[in-house]
Order: sequence, then structure tokens, then C-alpha cells
Amino acid sequence: MGLMIVCPHCGSREYTEFTFGGELRDLDAPDPAADFRRVYLRDNAPGPQRERWFHAYGCRRWLTVVRDTERNVIVDGEP
Amino acid sequence: MASLDLEGRRVPLENGDTVASALFRAGVRTFNRSLKHHRRRGLYCLTGDCPNCLCTVDGEPGTRACTTEARDGMRVRRETGRPSVEIDALSVTKLAGPLMPVGFYSKTFIRPRIAWETAEKVIRRATGVGTLPTDRGPRRVEVRNVHADVLVVGAGIAGLGAALEVAERGERVLVADEGRVGGLLAPGAARDRLATLAAAAREHDRITLLEGHVAVGIYEGPMVPLAGRDELLRVHPCRVVVATGAVETHGVFGGNDLPGVWLGRGAARMAGAHGVPPGERAVVVAQTDEAFEHVSTLRRSGVEIAAIVAPAALADRAPGGHRVLRDGRVVAAEGSKGVRAVVISAGGARERVECDTLVLSLGLTPRDALLRMAAEEPVVGAGEVVRPGCSPVEAEESGRAAGHGEPVERRPLGGVVVGGRGTVCLCEDVSIGDLRDAWAEGWRSSEILKRYTTATMGPCQGVMCGRLLASFAATEGAPRAGARTTARPPARAVPLEVLAAGVHETGTKRTSLHERHLEMGAHLDRSGSWIRPYRYGDRHEDYLAVRERVSIMDVGTLGKFLVAGRDARTLVDRVFPCDVEHLEPGRSRYLIVLDEAGYAMDDGLLCANPDGTYTITSTSGGSDRMEAGLREWIDRWGLHVHLLNQTAMLGAVNVAGPLARELLERLTDDSVDRDAIPYPGHGRITVAGVPCHAIRSGFVGELSFELHHARSRGVELWDALLAAGQDLGIRPHGLDALDVLRLEKGHPFLAQDTLPDDHPTKLGLDWAVDMTKPAFVGKVALERMAAFPLERKLVGFRFDDRPQRGAPVYASARVAGRVTSCAVSPALGFPIGLGWLRTVDGAFPERVQAGGVMATVVPRPFYDPEGARIRA
Repeated sequence: MGLMIVCPHCGSREYTEFTFGGELRDLDAPDPAADFRRVYLRDNAPGPQRERWFHAYGCRRWLTVVRDTERNVIVDGEP
Repeated sequence: MASLDLEGRRVPLENGDTVASALFRAGVRTFNRSLKHHRRRGLYCLTGDCPNCLCTVDGEPGTRACTTEARDGMRVRRETGRPSVEIDALSVTKLAGPLMPVGFYSKTFIRPRIAWETAEKVIRRATGVGTLPTDRGPRRVEVRNVHADVLVVGAGIAGLGAALEVAERGERVLVADEGRVGGLLAPGAARDRLATLAAAAREHDRITLLEGHVAVGIYEGPMVPLAGRDELLRVHPCRVVVATGAVETHGVFGGNDLPGVWLGRGAARMAGAHGVPPGERAVVVAQTDEAFEHVSTLRRSGVEIAAIVAPAALADRAPGGHRVLRDGRVVAAEGSKGVRAVVISAGGARERVECDTLVLSLGLTPRDALLRMAAEEPVVGAGEVVRPGCSPVEAEESGRAAGHGEPVERRPLGGVVVGGRGTVCLCEDVSIGDLRDAWAEGWRSSEILKRYTTATMGPCQGVMCGRLLASFAATEGAPRAGARTTARPPARAVPLEVLAAGVHETGTKRTSLHERHLEMGAHLDRSGSWIRPYRYGDRHEDYLAVRERVSIMDVGTLGKFLVAGRDARTLVDRVFPCDVEHLEPGRSRYLIVLDEAGYAMDDGLLCANPDGTYTITSTSGGSDRMEAGLREWIDRWGLHVHLLNQTAMLGAVNVAGPLARELLERLTDDSVDRDAIPYPGHGRITVAGVPCHAIRSGFVGELSFELHHARSRGVELWDALLAAGQDLGIRPHGLDALDVLRLEKGHPFLAQDTLPDDHPTKLGLDWAVDMTKPAFVGKVALERMAAFPLERKLVGFRFDDRPQRGAPVYASARVAGRVTSCAVSPALGFPIGLGWLRTVDGAFPERVQAGGVMATVVPRPFYDPEGARIRA
């Protein structure tokens, strides 16, 4: 099996059921320059990363998980 | 007697023949011409690795003659070479060479730019490996998902050993081989052992043996796509054993690609398995133990061995009675149509040995692309792919170990000597001289040498030359420069049909009116994930019904959403860029949906309902993204909103045309006049007994009502509309007519006419954005971008003649844009189009050229610019 994601509503499911929503970003920024960084720039760092996934072929809810981008495993999930 | 047809010539077949062996027996020596320099190419590897025998079989170009079983009545053509593969004008005059220096993609005909248009045609004619068949559509390739405990790639001794081990442990195993089991082996002990293993595997009920299935790559999961002739299997195993074997190492010296130069296993297979002597007099270069077996096989088939060239360490083991040149090295193969002599340097002296065949056994190169692309997956190798040159016994043992899940240690590979002259990459026709030139130009690592010279990028995907390229870079520069280039799918060449398989596989959706469209003789086809009508007979008649009378279209595919809850208004106001505050119940607005970067993702309509809810429509292809996007904001802002995706629950029929109101009045007691349902607005009416949400829309440019209704009532509504409109001249229209109708109104199709970084100003949609609102998604980005001058925008074109969609737009001999939509407008009587246009010298050009047709940039919409017909 590939990457498994624990959906708080549906249980542990394969990543192919989900749509990737990217790194978790702040909702807004204090000024346009910070907004530019917020919108366009990604950390793309190796290691644990908080990111959004949409359970498209399940409950159709968004969830935030922590994925270790080096090992490609979910290390923590939160509803 | 069975035979195949080679360019009109009858070639008899014998049992066990491949296309290559039949042609070779019949005297064919030149199988194709090299890609760029049109050098003759003959049989070389005979194991499906090199590109030398690619020809067209039964209309399918790029077929490997050496691994394709010959069948009675087959039609074979060798397509490279002008006018023919045997007489090639481009080779004689050396026309092709100067056109194509190394890196020619990057430096030929860059200036003047217009020259490339002509040169491209010449180069296209001069190069390539065949002609794409145009007399048939693509083959339908089915996609299936298959699950197994273990997948074994390669059904040789190691692979079958692994499979039997796995099956005996009680697990289910799938074994796939690209050819036939044992197909590549000459008679002998190894073939006998393989036959025994294959028989045991076929008997075993936990083993599935698939022949003719190529492993395309290894993806995360692991998931391994196996390409068969008419199917693509997506295999999801828990573990993978790669037992793809090894190919004899390609040798580089002058004339190394002449017909008559063979890899040892290829020559032995032609002699041993097919019983055809590869030549009359051979020089054998023996740097492996198995080379001496090849010598015996060749002799038995009647080949005279002129000399054996071997390192001192091996020379003593050479079979007696032959001339052995100790520590010799091949300097060059000479000849024009084929090998005439070989120049060997040995003991400080050079010697010219006359022969017609040169057999190379220089060492073994594992076919390890799959292993190299699977670093993080549970994948192990077995047999020659990890132990090149291992004995059959050793191969079976390593297979058994791999079946247990034990990684088999990879035997380290030495470098390979790359020097002198000769062709490194047979597929892309890259010589050692080309690599030296590229190195001198500053391309100094294997990865960028690959990109610049295209070496390793041909049909063999670097099986023959990948190691040589790396060795060249390592010798010239630092060892790090000489790393093997990254292995990526496809590991083996596969037809485009296979790559395209499954594109539409997400499930096709049908509207409630599907059966009606079929009954009415509509031409139906895919549009995104939906099956939709394109036309009902004549597209122009469909068009005229909308413009002159009344027509209906099934628009049930549109995304349809209901937004309810106490924060419904907050949500739509904060997400969408239009003015929501002043949107009265019963009215609607055009919606351009932006992402946070201010780029247009989708468009649709926003309708304010009297009960405080909102109805949103989106494009047919954008509904999933619309839902995900809205849910993201509801979730992250913590809003109290119920979002209901009604796309599948509701059908929709657009009633359009100057007589649309007259038609509806016949079927409803509710008022549909311009005060009751104004433009842009909407209301609830009952049509022919079916409760409908009627939404005025302007997409086709005529008075129109989109009737959203319960999916279960769709057929009833459709039939009633058609019946009531008979005397009005009603007929339905499909996507073909819609394309012209909306183009006359200048409406872009999102994604067809737009680019991923189009903001509203580029699209001419500033009117749909209320920048005075305190906030909406993308507002900060739009403010930021507004500070920059506009350098590209979507414009309307009026063409002097009919252009092609997709044609580049030129202004002042520079590419300044592209035509994204075009058609002859029936209403206006001349060709119009949409496209994007860049500034030239700081200003948008007004007169341009597109695909040889002159065009004037004109304002949109083309048709009814005041919109009087929509508001009727």
C-alpha cells in the first residue's frame, strides 16, 4: 500500500482517495509583502510538514495532517 | 507455406521465427536507418533492447522485429530512409549531418526565428523511426487493477525461481514477462531448466504467469503498470522481485553500428535458436566466459572464426584451433553496407582481419531501470540484474532468496571504456565525438549531457548507452559528474495508446437525458468526465434554432450548489470577487472564481434566493474543485454553512432563443415576463408540472432560461418542451453549436481560452470584480498585480480568412500570442476568434498574422454588443 492517511470520519485510507491541498498556510498576512510570501512561496522542507488533504472519495471533508516528507508517512493527524 | 510480406516481397517463415530471423534468413541485412545521420543499422542485440530492428509491422511503427513473433500474412516495412532503407539519398549526400549538430534542438535555426518553421519541416521528414498510422483510431486499451502478494518482473530462471519460492510459502504471485518464457534462450541446459521451472509455475495455482506484458515502471505503493497488447494492468503488490536480466555491453569504436556487428548473445541466438548463421567469417571479442560458448554455437552453425580477441587472463580458456589475439582491442570495424574487416590493436601492432561479422562479448550491463527507480519501495532484484553473468544455478538461488524477501547483494559494476570513435547512443544517433563537443561546450555532467545530446532518451531508454554516458562523464570530469542518470518510467518503450489508457477511467457520467439523446440520433462524446451531445444531425441547423427560433440544451452537467446556514452570505461575500452586499433576492451575478493568487479558476452564476440561501452554478468540469474550494474556506474560517453539492441531484435544461418565453408560457401558469424573472435574475416556476428553478443566463447571447429540476423529472420536462415547441421550429443543440454561439458573444471557455495565470484584467473581466469590497479571495494579489503593466490579455480577432485553432499569432515577425478559439460566425459572416496577445514594443498590436491569415484585433462581444437580446 502507498501512503495511508487517517481520516477522522472514515478511518485509515489510501492517499489515492484524497486530493492534496498543499502546505497548511496562514489565513492572511499583515502586509502585501507577507501576503506574497504566504501565497506563492512554499517551505518545501524535508521532515514533518503540516498539510491539507481533501477526502474527495470519502466524506468530502478537509483535514490537516503532519506528513514526514522525507519518509512519506503521516506522523500525526488532527480532525 | 507461411510467409510475410516485406515491402511487396514474399519472405517464407519457419517455425519459431521472429520477424527479424525470417528477414535475416531471407538476406535482409539493413533493418533501418539511424535517426539523424541515416547510417545503416542491422541486427545487434536480438533481445529487444537496442533500436536497430525497429520497423513497421502491420501498420504499427516502432515495432521490434527481433522480439515480434512472425505470423503468416504479416506486412513488414522498413520506413526510415528516403526513398528507401536500402537507397538513402540523405546518407549519400550527407545532407542530414550539418543540419543536426549535437544539441541542435538548442541551437539550430534559433535566428531568424521564422527559419525554424521551414527547417522543422525538413528535419521532421529527415528523421524519425516511422510514420504514425492515420487510417485507424487509437486501439482501446482496458485498464484493470490487479492485486497480488508478490509481483515478479521477468520470467527467466531467477524470476521463476522467485515465483515458485513465494508460491510455496503460500503467497499469491504474479509473474510478468515482456516476451515468451524462454523466448530468448538458445537450446541448452539453461533452456531445459527454464522449461522445467515454467512447467512447475504453470501448474501452481498460486502463480499467474503473464506473457507479453511489459513493466513500465515502479510507482509509489508500490504500483507497477504492466502494458499488454490491449490492456494496462495496474498491479498493486506488497513486494516486487525484479528479474529483468542483463544485456551484453555495447561497445564503442569506429564503425560499431555497421550491420554485421553483433552482441554475443544476439549472434548466438540467431545461430542457436533460429538456426541461421549470422555471417560467414567472424571475429569474436571475448571478455566474458560465455563468449567461448558463443564461439562454439557459431561454429556449429557453420561460421568460420577468423580470430578471437581476448584479454590474457581469459585467452588460455579459448577453445583450441582458433587464432587468439591476446590483450587485443578493436579499433574499428570497416565497411559501408556491412562489416568487411576489423582493425585490431594487439601487442603494440595493428592488424586488419577480413570478416563479415564482429561478435562482441564485452561484459554485461544489468537492465536495472526498475530497480533504480524504486529506492524507497519493497523491491529486490534477482538473477543477472544484480549478478550479471551469473550461472543458471546461481540465478535460481538468488531468485529463491529474493522470493524469501532477502535482498540479493548487487555485484558492483566496473566502469566501461569509452574512447576513440563510434556511436554511443544508437537510438538518438549520438557519437563519442558529439559527447566530446558537448563537453567542450560546457555540459559537464551525465544529467546535462543527456539533456543536451538526447543520449539515453530514445526507444531503448538508456539500456545500451546509459552506463557508457556515465562512464564518459566520469572519465572526463569528477566521479560525481558520472553518476547514472535518474531512472524514470517508462522503463521500456510503450505505445501512446497505453500511456493514454485510463485517462477517462474515472467513470463517465451521464445526465438523466442520455437515452433521449441517443433516440434523437445525437452525436455523443466525452466532455471531461461526462458523455454529452455534440450535435443533433446538422450543427448549423442546431445553431440557427437558437439564434432565430427556440432551442433546448441539456446542461445537467453544470456544477450546482446550494449554500445555506447562518454564515451563507459571509461565505460567498468573502470568497467571491463580485458585489454580494447589493445582490437582491431574485437576482444573480456572473461569478469569476479566483484563487489566492488572483488567477481565474472557474466561472459560473451566483443567485440570491429569497430565503437567504444562495444557488451557485459552476462549469461542468469545475464542480469538484468548486466544492473542495468552498469547503476549505468554510472549514478554515469556521463558518456555519451547509454546502450541498446538487450537481448529481439536479438536471438542467437551457431553453434559449427569441421564442423561449413564448414556449415557456405555453407550459406554465407562472409569469416568465421580464419583470417576474429579469436578466440577470431567477425564479421558481412550474413547467409542464415539473417544479423548476429558472435562471436567466446570457452565455449563448439570446433570451434564455436555465431550468434546474429534480433529475428524476428530466425526461418528462424535455419531452414536454419539445412537444410544445413543434410549431415554433424547436430543435435541441449540443456542444458544437454552443461553441459558436458563445464565441460570437466573446465568452471564453475557462481552461480552453485561458491560461493558469490569467487574472480578471487579462481576461477583460474587470467588470465582474468589485475592488471596493473590503476583502475577497485573491484581492491582495490583484492589487499587487495591478501595479504592473498589462503584458498579455485575451482579445477578440476578426480574421481575413479561416485560421486554425492553436495557431501562433505573429506581430512584427515575433510570436505575440495564440488563437485559442475560432469559427466562421454565421451571424456576422466572417471568421472570428479568441486568443491571447502580448505587447510588442510596449503596445498591444492591432493587426496580426495567425497561421498565415491576417487578423484585426476587435472588441468583444462580436454579436449583439449591447446585450439587448439577452435582456429581452
